[in-house]
Amino acid sequence: MISLGSYLAISFALFICGVAVMIARKNIIAILLGIELILNSAALNFVAYTKFVNNNIDGHIMSLFIIVIAACEAAVGLGIVIRFFQLRESVHVDDAAQLQN
Amino acid sequence: MFANTLFLLSAALTVGGAFAVLWSKNLMHACIYLLASFFGVAGLYAVIGADFLAATQMVVYAGGVVILMLFSVMLTGGSSEKINRFGLEKIPAMGNKKTLFAAGFASFVAALIVLKILAQFIKHYDATPMTANLPTVERIGVVLATDHILAFEISSVLLLGALIGAAVISRPRREKND
Repeated sequence: MISLGSYLAISFALFICGVAVMIARKNIIAILLGIELILNSAALNFVAYTKFVNNNIDGHIMSLFIIVIAACEAAVGLGIVIRFFQLRESVHVDDAAQLQN
Repeated sequence: MFANTLFLLSAALTVGGAFAVLWSKNLMHACIYLLASFFGVAGLYAVIGADFLAATQMVVYAGGVVILMLFSVMLTGGSSEKINRFGLEKIPAMGNKKTLFAAGFASFVAALIVLKILAQFIKHYDATPMTANLPTVERIGVVLATDHILAFEISSVLLLGALIGAAVISRPRREKND
């Protein structure tokens, strides 16, 4: 039951949910939730491959760096969201259209 | 037996939490479901022997990222008027049936295309039988301080930059005198 295929299937489900959340939502914070789901699926793939295929520790290192980058991305992204809310009083993605006109 | 039970519970928690994030209409509830999904991923790490990674996942995601998300949801909650000058709601709804259907279909098609491209790499791998789970903390520490020392230092600089950048960006703007 615990095999590479089942881990890849779970990671596939996480990735699909993340992309669907990113496309469907109109709220900027919800889009950041989708990005977190996608980064988690990538880290899960690294750990599964390093356990079942070459059985060393390098995938764990890659997952650690993915977690670090996800934390940075969440902090900076939420800072930008709060700044945008101070300027526009809105968290709608369609409001962020200053560069279009 | 215990590992199988833990694996099933964690997989159900992960996939169920992710789908609940997709279907939830409330952003606060979506953050909590995301927390459940992260705990499930930590359990999946623990099943295949990545103990340090499971602990890091719990500390960083459950303790840091989700709390940050909840705080920013609370900080961006109130606005005096409902509609902005473009006629859009300031606090938008979480999407409707049409956007959910379109997003699900589009992501499924994109994922199938990626799977088709990666199929030959997925099929031809040499699966070693599962070995015993050794503790990984010491090995991770040694590898991180010898082979991957450059990436380790660069990630520390990245964390410092993210800290300063987030503080500068979200700082309240001072009133100008011009």
